[in-house]
Amino acid sequence: MLQELDPLLHSQLRLAIVSILLSVDEADFVYLKEQTGATAGNLSVQIDKLAAAGYIRVTKEFVGRKTRTSCQITEKGCEAFERYVEAIKSYLKL
Amino acid sequence: MEEKKLNEKESLELITQMIRQSRRNMVVGSGNRFLLYGYSAVILSIIVFVLVRTTGHLTWAALWFGMFLPFIYSWLYDRKHRPAVVTYTDRMINETWKVIGTLFVITVLVMMILGYAMGSVNFALMLPLALIYCGIGTSITGLVIKDSVLAYLPLFGLVFAIYMLVALPSLLHTPVTWHLYFGLSFLIMMVIPGHNLNAKCRK
Repeated sequence: MLQELDPLLHSQLRLAIVSILLSVDEADFVYLKEQTGATAGNLSVQIDKLAAAGYIRVTKEFVGRKTRTSCQITEKGCEAFERYVEAIKSYLKL
Repeated sequence: MEEKKLNEKESLELITQMIRQSRRNMVVGSGNRFLLYGYSAVILSIIVFVLVRTTGHLTWAALWFGMFLPFIYSWLYDRKHRPAVVTYTDRMINETWKVIGTLFVITVLVMMILGYAMGSVNFALMLPLALIYCGIGTSITGLVIKDSVLAYLPLFGLVFAIYMLVALPSLLHTPVTWHLYFGLSFLIMMVIPGHNLNAKCRK
């Protein structure tokens, strides 16, 4: 029987965010926006969803006078991603 | 990017593409930091050498504390300019240099405390120790970012540190040429690999 794909990760933008965060230690909002090509509003919503699920950790701080939002993947996020990739492999018979 | 559902193949393609893209965007350890410290040491070595040589006053060697200036500059710079993305490599390098920096502060403090207890402070050991600390830090950075020039060139700079440590017990005063050797070591350890690293990044 095929494994169920995590609905939270099975969306283009959320999967893109998690994939990026998996290969770096920390990325800020601007970087994620550039890499994914998403709008600020949409990205913000998806980041909130991932953060609420505990897949990513969001830190807001002041750098000089500007605010900086940075994201890091959590252990839970890594595990979810691994399960997602394993599930895809089973679908594609990899 | 819209929030659309993907099929399995598209998911796999997206994962691969995003990971590849973010790896491509990693700025692999810019050489500017090495150039900052390297050139500061070279310039200071010449200034200290000339001043000690012409005046005969060893107190001019205290100008070496000026090496804390590039540290303060880079600390202030980092506070104002946070990178858009921090890789595991960046984190590893930062942590390595934090340890090296702490080692410097501890060494200076211990030397001052011991000097106070013994009645005189002698910073002669600081030159070889600084070479060893910076040489090891640079080599580790080179190994982490897989740059063989950065990893192995500091070993040549460390030769001067070994010479200083071997010669120190038999000397009454620090030879004035040591200041130049120190600058030369930094030229080998940091300036050359720093330029090499920048040239590689530009390619």
